Amino acid sequence: MLVFILRRMLLLLLTMLLVSVAVFLITEASPGNVARNVLGSFVTPEQEASFLNQLGLDDPAPVRYLHWLVGSDWRGSRLVGLPLKRLVTEKGFVEWWARLPDGNLVRWKLDGDNLIAQIRRPDGAVEEVPDNGRWRKRADGSSYFWGLDAHNRAVLWEKGTKRKAWVFVVGSGWKEVSGGAMDYLPLKKGFLRGDPGVSLRTGRPVAKSLFIRLRNSLVLAGIAFAVVMPLALALGIAAGLREGSALDRSLSVGGMVFSVIPEFAMGIFLILIFALWLGWLPGATVFGEKAPWQRPDMLVLPVLTLTLIELGYVLRITRASMVEVMRSPYIRTAFIKGLPYRRVIFKHAVRNALIAPITVIMLHVNWLLGGIVVVEVVFGYPGLGKYLLDSALYKDINALEAGAMIMVVAAVGTQLVADILYTFLNPRIRYR
Amino acid sequence: MLQVAEGTSQGKTSRRTGRRLFLGIRRTFSLIFASRTATVGFFIVAFWVSAAVFAPLLTPYSPTYQDWKAPNQGPSAAHPLGTDELGRDLWARLLYGARIVLVVLPVSQDLWLPGGTALWGVAASLALGAFLGLVSGYKGGWIDEVVMRLLDAMMAVPVILLYLIFVAAMGASAVNVVLAIAIVGTPGIARLVRGLTLDIRTRDYVRAAETRGESPWYVMFVEILPNAKGPIIIDAMLRVGYAIFAMGTLGFLGLGLPPPSPDWGSMVAKGREFILAGSPWAALWPSVAIASLVVGLNLLADGLREEAMRYQ
Repeated sequence: MLVFILRRMLLLLLTMLLVSVAVFLITEASPGNVARNVLGSFVTPEQEASFLNQLGLDDPAPVRYLHWLVGSDWRGSRLVGLPLKRLVTEKGFVEWWARLPDGNLVRWKLDGDNLIAQIRRPDGAVEEVPDNGRWRKRADGSSYFWGLDAHNRAVLWEKGTKRKAWVFVVGSGWKEVSGGAMDYLPLKKGFLRGDPGVSLRTGRPVAKSLFIRLRNSLVLAGIAFAVVMPLALALGIAAGLREGSALDRSLSVGGMVFSVIPEFAMGIFLILIFALWLGWLPGATVFGEKAPWQRPDMLVLPVLTLTLIELGYVLRITRASMVEVMRSPYIRTAFIKGLPYRRVIFKHAVRNALIAPITVIMLHVNWLLGGIVVVEVVFGYPGLGKYLLDSALYKDINALEAGAMIMVVAAVGTQLVADILYTFLNPRIRYR
Repeated sequence: MLQVAEGTSQGKTSRRTGRRLFLGIRRTFSLIFASRTATVGFFIVAFWVSAAVFAPLLTPYSPTYQDWKAPNQGPSAAHPLGTDELGRDLWARLLYGARIVLVVLPVSQDLWLPGGTALWGVAASLALGAFLGLVSGYKGGWIDEVVMRLLDAMMAVPVILLYLIFVAAMGASAVNVVLAIAIVGTPGIARLVRGLTLDIRTRDYVRAAETRGESPWYVMFVEILPNAKGPIIIDAMLRVGYAIFAMGTLGFLGLGLPPPSPDWGSMVAKGREFILAGSPWAALWPSVAIASLVVGLNLLADGLREEAMRYQ
C-alpha cells in the first residue's frame, strides 16, 4: 500500500513536470506575447522590447523555465557578486536586498551618472550614500555595474547611457522614464522553493491572488458537493430499487438530459428564469472585498447550476450500481431467508451499491473542475477558473503555470484519494 | 463468356451489398422507432441537420447582415427569433451556426471543407487514437509502456486546462478547435482500441496473417482494425455529442471561432452581456440550440444502446 502511494506520488510529480513544460512550450511557441496583451495593440516596438526586458522575458526559453522552476536569485547573486536576501516587510511586501560583507543590506539607484547605495540599517532605516567606486570598466572604456533596484530586480546599469524605459508604477500605471538600465533580471525563488513569481498582468504576487481565488472556488465546489451528493445518492437508490418504473425512467432520462446540457447554457437558463423573469436572485456575483459566504444570495445560482449538471451523472451511476446489486444472488437469498425489506436494502444492498459511485465521483473531479471554470465565467465569480482563463488569454505565464499546477494536483490527488478510499470500501482490492 | 459471367457476378454482389445496406438502415430505423427516447432524439437531431443543410432556404438573411435600426430586438414578424446587439438576425445565425457544427469546416476565408467542425474533431481523434492504440496494443513492450504512461498523464490533466492552454495559446480558429477536440479525445479512444487489439491479436486469423508473412502494418490496419470497428463506432457516436458540447464551451470561453462567425458558444458569450440590460434573446436562443442538439444526440445514442441491448 505504501509503495503504491509512493508510486502514485511520483506519477503526480511527473505529471506536474510534464504539464509545466507543456504549458511553457505551448505558450512559447504561439504567436503574440504578454506585452501586447497588457500594453494594448498600439504599443510601439520599443515599448514592447522595454517591457519584455524588464520582466526578464528576453532571455532564452530554457533559461526562463529554469528561473520559473528553481528561481533566479542564485544567478542574480552571481551577477551582483554579493549574497542576496529576501525580506518580507511588515506590510507584507517582498523585498530583495544584497548583503554586504559587514552584514548590512544594500540596494542601489542611479542618479545621473552617480551610483547611490541605499543601505538598510538593522532597525529598518535606509541611508543613502554615493557608491561610485563600484563601477566596473569594460575593455572599451565604458563603465557598468550589476546591482539591485527597488523593484526586486537585478539590473545592469551603464554609465552615461540614456535609454527610455517603460516602467510600471504601482498606483499610476505605466510611465516612461529614462535611465542607464540596460538589462533586468527579476528575482524570485522559483516554484519548487514555494514562490510562483509575480503576475505579469497585474504585477501582484501570484501566490496571494491565487490563494483568495482558490478559497472562493473551494467554497463554491464544497457547497455544490454537499448539496449534490446526498441528493443524487438518495434519488439514484430510489430509482435503482424500482427499475423500469415511471419514477426510474423519468429520473434517469431527466438526469441524463440535465447532465449533458453545457454548463454555460444551464447557467444562462437559470439567470433568465430566476434573475430576469422572476427577479428573485442576482444574476451575477460581485463580491468586492467581501468573502463569498457573506453574500449567500449570490451563491445560489452558481451552486444550483453545478448541482443540476452533476446531479444527473451521480444519479445514473448510483442507479446502475443499485440495479446490479439488487439482481445479485445474495440479495435474493436475504429476501428468501425472510429478512425485512428495509434491512435487506440498507444493510445489504446500499452498502455495496455505494462503492462504485463514490470512487467514480472522485474520478469525476476532472469534469467538475471544467464545470466550475465555466460556471465561474458565466456568473463572473472570482474563482480559480476565471483567474486561469484570464491568465491564459493574457499569456501571463507565471499565473498560468501556478494555476495549472493547482488543477493538476486537484485532479490527480483526488484520483489517489479515490483509489485509497476504494481499498477501505472494498477490502478485496489490494494495490501493489 | 467469362467476362459476362464476371459482370453478372459483380452486379449480383453490388445488388447484394445494396440490399444489405438497405436492410441495415431499415434495422437501425426500426431500432430507433422502437424506443421513445431514441425517436425524440432522432427528430431533434434530424431537425438540426436539415436546418444546417438547407440554411439558405430557411432564412432570407445572411448571418453577418447587420440591421442597424433594429439591434437587440425580441421576436417579430421580420426577425422570427429577434436580433443581436448588431442587429443581426438570430434565426439566420442559429442556422448557419448549425452549419459550422455539422456540415462545414471553415478552414479559412476561402477554404471550406465538408463535414462539420465537431465531426472533424471526432474523426481526427479517432484516427490518432486508433493509430496509437493499435501500435501499442500490437507491438507491446516498451512502446506500449511509454505510450500508455504518456496517455495516462494526459488523462490525469483536467480537460478544461488542456482546452484553455491549447486554444488560448494558438488563438481562435476552426482548425484549432478541431485540434483541441482531437487531442482531448485521443487518450480515451487509444485505450479502447488498445484493449480491443489485445483481444483480437490472439485470434487465429491474425496468427494466419503473421504466418503468411504479412507486415505488421498490414496486420494492424487490415486484419485487426476492421474487426474492432463495432465498439469504436458506438464510442464515436457518443463522442460527437461531446464534441459539440466542447465546441460550445470553447466558444463561450472566447476560444471558439473568431467573429463574425455565427459560433453558438461565442453568441452566448456576447449575448450574456445584454441579459441584465433587458434583452435576453441573443443569449437564450444559441443556448437552447446547443442544449437541444446535445440532448438530442444523447437521447438517440442512449435509446439505441438500450434497444440494441434488449435485442441481444
